[in-house]
Order: sequence, then C-alpha cells, then structure tokens
Amino acid sequence: MTQLVFFIAAIGAIAGAIGVIALRNPFYGVLSLVGHLLCLAALFLLLRAEFLAASQVIVYAGGVMVLYVFVVAYVGGTEESLGASRGWLRVLTPIFAGVLTIELVIASLGSGLKAITTKGADISPTFGSPAEIGQALLTRFLFPFEVASLLLLVAAVGAVGLARRRDGYTVGSIPLKAGAIPSVPPKGTGTMAEAAGDKPMTGLSGGDS
Amino acid sequence: MTPLIATVNYAEPWWVQIIKAIVIFAVGLQLIPLVLLAERKLLGRFQGRYGPNRVGPMGAMQPLADIIKLATKESFRPRTSVGVIFMVAPAISILTAVATLAIVPFGNTVDIFGTKVGLYGVDPSIGILYAFAFGGIAFYGLMLGGWSSGSKYSFLGAMRSAAQLISYEVSQGIALIGVIMMAGTLSLTGIVEAQADQGWFIVPQIVGFLVFLIAGFAETNRAPFDLPEADAELVGGYSTEYGGGGFTSYFFAEYLNVIVVSAITTTIFLGGWLLPFGWDTPGWAMPFVVIGKTLFLIFLFMWVRATLPRLRYDQLMTLGWKILLPIATINTLVTAVLVAT
Repeated sequence: MTQLVFFIAAIGAIAGAIGVIALRNPFYGVLSLVGHLLCLAALFLLLRAEFLAASQVIVYAGGVMVLYVFVVAYVGGTEESLGASRGWLRVLTPIFAGVLTIELVIASLGSGLKAITTKGADISPTFGSPAEIGQALLTRFLFPFEVASLLLLVAAVGAVGLARRRDGYTVGSIPLKAGAIPSVPPKGTGTMAEAAGDKPMTGLSGGDS
Repeated sequence: MTPLIATVNYAEPWWVQIIKAIVIFAVGLQLIPLVLLAERKLLGRFQGRYGPNRVGPMGAMQPLADIIKLATKESFRPRTSVGVIFMVAPAISILTAVATLAIVPFGNTVDIFGTKVGLYGVDPSIGILYAFAFGGIAFYGLMLGGWSSGSKYSFLGAMRSAAQLISYEVSQGIALIGVIMMAGTLSLTGIVEAQADQGWFIVPQIVGFLVFLIAGFAETNRAPFDLPEADAELVGGYSTEYGGGGFTSYFFAEYLNVIVVSAITTTIFLGGWLLPFGWDTPGWAMPFVVIGKTLFLIFLFMWVRATLPRLRYDQLMTLGWKILLPIATINTLVTAVLVAT
C-alpha cells in the first residue's frame, strides 16, 4: 500500500515537473506545477510529515500558485506560446542541465543507495506533528526561525514598496474617513473604479463586452 | 502496520473505517436536500411568500423534483470551452467539500457492540489545517471551471472567487489561532474536549467566532458575499456555462460547504457534542447534538442571506483586509498574552 502510493505520487511529481517545462501554454504549465506540488505533499505524508504536507498545500498550492494562476489567466493568452530562445541559450542550457544531472546521479549513486535496504531511522510516534515542529522551531532552531521571519518581513515591506503607485501619493490625495467602509472609493486608488470606472472599456480582447 | 496518513489514538480495524466513511458520507449527503428545501421555504417566509408548496405535502418533495430535473438534462458544453478541464473542475469542488466533511467530529470515541469507534472520519494531528488545505484546493474547482468555460462571465466570476477565497482564508486562519492557543491542540476532538474544561470557546473567543463566521460566509460564496455568482451582474458566475451534471455538482458542493463550515464552527466554538449547563451527553446522542447545532448555524446562514444586501467588490476586499484581518490579529495577540499569564 505504502509503496503503491509512493510510486503514484513520485511518478505524478516527475510528470508534473516535466510538464512545467514542456508545456507551451503557460496556463497548463502552472497547472502541472500545482499537480507537482500536490504529489510532493503526498510524499511528505508518506514520510509522516503531516504538518509539512499541510503547509505545502496551504502555502504553495493554495497561496502562491493561486496568484500564478491569477496572473497567467489574466495576462497569458491561450494561443500565445513562449518565444523562441536565443541561440547561445540553446547551446548553454543542455550543457548546464547535463552537468547537473551527472552530478546528481553521482551523488545519489555514491551515497543515497547504500541506505536503500535498511529500515531507516527510528522515529517517535509523534514525529512530524505540529507540536514537535513547534518545539524544534522555538528551541533548537530559534535563531534561523527568527532570521527567516525577518527576511519575510523585509520581503513584505519590499512588496508594498514595489506595488505602490509610481507617481506617488501626495498627502491628502486620499481622504481617510472615519467610517468603516467608504461608500465611494476615491478616484485612482487602484480599485475597480480605476479599472472599469468612467471610461468605456476599450482595449480588452474582443472589446465588445 | 503504522497508519498511512492519520495517527488515531487507537487502532481501528479497516472495516470500521470503511463503514464509518460510508455512514458519514450518507448522513452528510442526506442533509443537503433537507437544507435545500429549508432554505427555499425559509427564504420564502422571510420575503413574505410561500416558497415551494406544490410537490408533495408542503412542498417536501421539491428537492427530489429538482434533482430529477437536473439529472435528466442534456449535458453540453460551449464550443470555446476546454474539454477535459471543463469536465474535471466540478469534480474537484465536490471532492474537496466531501473530504473536509471527514474531519468533522460527530462525537467522541464510543463503544458500539464492543468495538471502540471514533465518531469522525479521521482525526489527524494537523486537525484544522486539513480543512484549510482542502479549502486551498477548492479554489481550483471554481477557477478551472470558470476559466475553461471560455466565457467572460464565467471567467470574471472565477477571478472574483479567487481573490475572495485567498483574502478571507487569511482572516479565517488567524481567527482560529486564539482557539488553538487556548485548547493547546489542533485536533478537532481535542478542541471539543478542551471546551469541556474551559467552557465553550464562543464566550472567551467571541471576536474570533464572529471573524470566523463572516469569513465562512465569504469562503462558501454565500450572500452577502456571493460575488462570484452575483446573478444580477454575472449571470451565474463561474457556473454560467454549466448545465445538468456540472451545475448539479457545483450546487451540491456549495451546500455541502455550508454544512461543513457550520459543522466546523460548531465543533470549534459551540462545544461540538457537549450540552450546555454541564449536562453529560450520552454516546448515542452526540451526533444529534452536533447536527442540531449545525442546523442552527445553517439557519443563521439563511437568515443572513435573506437580510443583508450584497457587498460591492471593493467593499468586500476592504472588509477582508482592512477590518477582519486587523481584528483577528489583535484578537490573537490579546489571547496570547492572556494565555501566557
């Protein structure tokens, strides 16, 4: 049973990974990445890492990939394929990929396969549970944990900085009301009013809508 | 053999798990026509009309008539649609809704003819995160359905659902952290047992409850947050191009989601199978207590639908990000300080 699930998930993960680079349509590429991530989550489950599997699905499949799908569905046309790559890239890419493959094969044949007939490390019954992970993060790995959270904070601030309007807000251009939900959003604040607002909708593909 | 996925507190024979799966599935699905009928009758009453009253006594057979009508409809798809994805998308929606039903505990471990049975599908150590994981996948059911229909209405509906789902999942998750800190466990049965000692969490966590409930309305695409299928502006949203089986699937998944969200809210905030005033719940009564509380919350869902007008899209986003999220965060911080002291 375990082996069956492992092989289904492993084949799915590899097929998904190949799909990401082989499919020409970006939307299908994103979907196969989602499939790849879900198969990885199944592999985590087999390793008794339930919390990791759940985070994998929630954060990647349910968060990051949602934004990918969002962007690709809006921007990427269905017939639009990725343009032909440049000449020197076509030469260099297989060389790098080949070197990487050889290195990985040497690494796995050299060390990993020795352990293939052994039983694996002994684990406690609660291994991989949220409680154990919390313990480890807040005691043994406290410093890396905090550094990572600082990094995320920097990234969040950076994202806000990048996403803010280029021409900049001037003080008072957006009236802040005490009321909870402004009934009419101020003009030009990146809402629907800006997208669809006063002007007739032009420039949409098939602009008859 | 170690259990493959879920670590339960005791070993259950495989046949018990299969029977449990069938029973939970059957009972859960029987609730749907009931809720459907109740909603139409109640909406009628709320709006000063009769509601369905032609089919069967008091209109009680109306869901059956609906189902027969939907099942006998011709299945077709638009020429612009993308075949495989168009067929698979409704199935994803149903799958995630049914899978989430599995963690709802209808009772504690009870003896049935000498066999110890936990009255829930699974009780994984990740508990409520399981529900959030499937909530994340549920997005693809709506999104792919809308995208593959090849219609602008469907596409816009799917896009709204995408933004709405990820916005409100954040608040929903953070609203629960307070409860998880008080209970000290993620497991849903553990949370109910903690409420036996500490009282129902709706009292100390009333803020978390309200945020979770509002986010729950949004997650299930119910009024006043039913923008993905706002009939007045988007025809039918992501399910516009679906007829027959596909439409039934989406409809079914939506109502099952309402039931699941109500049941999980019951478990987390309303004490699950516990009775008020410290009365002991006998083992056989536990599922009825849970279902009773769940039906009460479902009634609340209908009440809200009949009462509140739909929000505009930017109001929806403002409410999610600028009001619910800060409230949920402050609630978490305050709870953390109180629990630690």
